[in-house]
Order: sequence, then C-alpha cells, then structure tokens
Amino acid sequence: MLSKTKPTTCTLGELMIYQISKTIEDGILAFHGFGSPLVQLALHLAKNNHAPNLILVAGATYGINPKPPFLTPTSNDLAMGWGAECSIEIDELFDVAASGRMGRMFLSGLQIDKWGNMNVTRLGDDKKLNMKLPGGGGGCNLSCDVENITIWTAAHRALPNAKGRRRYRLTESCDYITNVGHLTSDNTPRKQMSYLGKGPDNIVTDLALFDFDDDGHARLINLYPDTSIADVKESTGFKFPIDENLSVCELPDAAMIEFIRKLDPMKIHERELSNNDRNRNFALKG
Amino acid sequence: MYVNKDKRCELSELIAEIKNGDCVAVGGGLSCREPMAALRELVRQDKKTLKLVGSAHGIDIDLLAGAGLVAISCESYVGFEQDFGMAPNYRRACESGEIKVEDSCCYTLVQQLRAAISGLPFMPIRSILGTGFIELHPEYKSMVCPFTGDELVLVPALAPDIAIIHAQYADSHGNIHIEGPPVADILFAKASKKVIVTVEKIIENDELVKKGVTIPYFYITGISEVDYGAHPTSCYPMYGYDREHTALYYDAAKKGTEIFNDEYLNKYVFTAALNEDYLKAVGGEETLKKLEAWDTSTEAWMELYA
Repeated sequence: MLSKTKPTTCTLGELMIYQISKTIEDGILAFHGFGSPLVQLALHLAKNNHAPNLILVAGATYGINPKPPFLTPTSNDLAMGWGAECSIEIDELFDVAASGRMGRMFLSGLQIDKWGNMNVTRLGDDKKLNMKLPGGGGGCNLSCDVENITIWTAAHRALPNAKGRRRYRLTESCDYITNVGHLTSDNTPRKQMSYLGKGPDNIVTDLALFDFDDDGHARLINLYPDTSIADVKESTGFKFPIDENLSVCELPDAAMIEFIRKLDPMKIHERELSNNDRNRNFALKG
Repeated sequence: MYVNKDKRCELSELIAEIKNGDCVAVGGGLSCREPMAALRELVRQDKKTLKLVGSAHGIDIDLLAGAGLVAISCESYVGFEQDFGMAPNYRRACESGEIKVEDSCCYTLVQQLRAAISGLPFMPIRSILGTGFIELHPEYKSMVCPFTGDELVLVPALAPDIAIIHAQYADSHGNIHIEGPPVADILFAKASKKVIVTVEKIIENDELVKKGVTIPYFYITGISEVDYGAHPTSCYPMYGYDREHTALYYDAAKKGTEIFNDEYLNKYVFTAALNEDYLKAVGGEETLKKLEAWDTSTEAWMELYA
C-alpha cells in the first residue's frame, strides 16, 4: 500500500493540508466540523507535528484527540472519533465557542468574498432561489464566536464556461452571508460588532494563500510552485492587494506526506479537488 | 409526562402519532443513527406539510423531501458531505418552491431548544447578527444587554410537536440508551411535546441502567423495536454505514422525482412495507453480515467505504 521509499513529491491536496495545518496554533482548542477532509487531516498533521498540545475536537462525533484508523467519507462515523480520550456534546461544543474558548475553526463556502464572508445557503435572492446549497451547519454561529477562522477552498480556479463566463468561488460579494467575515450584511465593519471572534485570518486555496489586511480585505501572500499572480487574478472575482514579500509557499516534508498518506489510505481528501488538480505534483527539495 | 408502564407498540402505531403539518425534529446526524425505518413508515403513512428542524442531516431529510412530505425546512445542513455531495431531492424541492427554506444554524437551534426545555420564551445569543439569517428570520429580535451594553439576538423557544429518534437500547418503560454521539437527540427529547423512539433492542431496566440512561422514560411517548432501524445509516456498535445502498439511493434521487419514485420509493418503501421485506430488498443476510463485520478488522471496516 505505502511505498517503501520516501516520497520525493507532494500532491496539491497534501500541500493544502500542510498549509491549513500551519494556521493552527499549539495549545488551542480547534474544531473541524463536517464535510472537510482536508481540514480533518490538517488538524491531525498539526497535532502530530508543531502542535502536540492542540485540543483537537472532531466534527460530528465531538470526540477529543481521537486516533482514527483511517479517514471516512462521512464525518459522523465511529472511525473518526476512534480512540478519543474524552468527548463533549453538541451543546457543549457551541458553548465552548460562545464563551471564547475555541481558538480556531475552519469554514468554506460556494461563494467567498473579499471580506471573508461566505455563502453556503443559497444562490439567488429572496425572490428567486437559483440554487439551494446544503447549509452551513454551525458555521454562522462559529464565524462570530471563534477567536480565529481559517477559510479554505479547493475550487478557487474559475474556468470559463462555453459562453466564456466564469463563476467565481472568490467573488466580489456573496448572495447570502452564512458565515460572517470582516464586513457584515449591512456593511458594518466587523470591529464595530460585539462578536468575540476576530474573524478570518487566512484563506488557503488550490492556487494561493491569502491573509487579511488591516481593513479586513483579502491580500495575496503566497503563490504555489505552479501558479502565478496572473493565474490568481484570472480566477478571482475581486481586485486584491499583494503582499510586498510575496513568495512561493513552503512544501511539507517527506515525513508529513507519509503521515497524511497513512491516515487517508482511501484518498478521501482528493474528493475536494477537481480531476485536473488531483494530478498536480510538486518536487520536494533535496 | 408519559407514565404508562409499557410503551412498546408497532411501528405503524408509533408513526400514527405524527399529524399533518407537525413540526418534526429528526434525531441522529449525517450518516449516523438516523431513524430511517420510522421515516419510511412516515412516507407510507403520507403525513404532509411537515416542518423540519435539525442540525446536520443527509439521507433522512432528503427521503422526506423526495416523498413530498415537507413544507418548511429549518435544517442547518442537508447533504452527503464529500461522499456524494448535495442532497438531490431536498435541493429540487427547495428550488421548485415546494419547500420553504428557513435554514437555521446549530447553536441557534440549541439555544431555541434550551429555551423550550427551561420554560423560557427565548434565549439570548451573541452570534447571528450581521449574517443573512437575521433577514431570513424576522421572528428573531435583538436587545442591548442591560449588564454589558452588547447587542444580543433573542431567539424564540422551539418546542417541536414531535421528535423521532433511533437508539440502540430501551426498556419497555421507555428509558433510552444511546451509544456514541447523541447529536441533538437529548435536547430534542426534552423540548418536544411527543417523542417516539425506535430501538435495535428492548432490554430489562437493570441491564439498561448498567449501560446508562441517556433519556429518562417520562419524556418518551412510545417505543418500537426495529432491527437495523437506522439502515442505511450506521448504528454502532451493531452495524456500520451502508455506503453501497446510499450510493444506489443517491443515483435514483439524482435522476428526478419520477425515477426516484419508481426506482427507490416503490421498491424500498412501498413494496417493502414490512421491515423484514426491506431488509431482504437491501441484500438480506449477506449485506447485514458485512455491515456487522466492521469490527473484525480495519480492512473489513474500510471495505464498507470502497
């Protein structure tokens, strides 16, 4: 199953998992929600590397510090909570966040705007529902309450359709704000709201990494070995500032890649990626 | 308070407790411990214009939507995660306007249930302000906290007409033992006016007490023993998730309402009206043995997701 030799390349999925894991501080309580295999793996990777004291709360089972034998395609599965040293329940999980004890949560959306607002509820407006999205689970509450939010999406690349139109994942504005970022639905800056949380501080995509500037606007900080500023611009529905120290991001090391491959033998995380993106590989140094 | 000594009844009697237009809380979560046998009986009894409330769900809500039973959805998530993606029947019914979308969010739901459980008209919550949910729910109010000056949202008490739960064990008096994450089931049971429960096995009270009582009997209206009552979702430690059957369900649902009716509802719900017929239809002993074998080895467990 696993190759005997050390990996010499990493995949896009593994790169994204590593980059999400780097946003996780040691010693905090972090929760991964459901429907998010890249994030589930990132939390386990973080705990196994730079964040051994992480309080890792598994989404849907609410098991704490579990040791899953393998990643499953659905999150409320005994396997995902396997070996947990203790567990909490749904009400307690959200109380932990509402009382300011949750350090980081991971959110996404079919639309993500330049202020880090996210839409997982619907496309279209009140009068005309064009597409019903699955809904945000507890994302709305957590986007207000949790200290820091990492946003991730594996569908940043917006290819033109037959008519040459692109539907942007990173878009100028959201049709509906499910999870709030740095500017609310009535255009109030987040800093003026009485939320406990500070809002999103990172976006990890299939093309690049962003942080947020002092105004709460997404800012490009890292490219990937195979992407350019032009690639990112082409697939982004808004103009964005670029960090003056823009660089190509770091890759995970061989041991981290082996850890990910062992924990996800069925490659569940690749289901978040497009078919083309599953073939993107990056050579590790030396 | 439900004090009758013996709450055991047939599944059909249990589901007869549900009325047209009821606000229904479906227990379990995602692919785990959904009361699927009870929901199939609900489809057969064709109870209409239901209002559904819940946290994160999948095939359970999609089935009710596909059978045309739902008028309003206040669920927080309905989908099949990365396993299959969006819920086809649910999405179609929302987009056609058949289901009125009143999405909620997990902690909002928790606070609303807590208000009902505590006999309070509302609960405050710090989140929601500044999101689309404020406009979607004109019944939410806001206030300035008299202690801190912070602006808070007030969400009204939610007492569902009925909660439908599937658990591993009960005693005949209606004490319930849930193994694994209870999700919102305990809150649902305490907040709802009626609570109906299917269980894998009814056991003696002293045995149940040893396992631990998750929900005390006086909340429970009725119970019914239904083997594999959560299938195709999991009910650990008895059996794992039947991904193969879920894939078959999803494919039928994706093809549209008519084909879903022909290929799925007719075969697995209407024709297989008895649980034993349903279990035969989904592959009988061979399938069930495989689902029970999850704990024989990691390989056998992984096999279920292949």
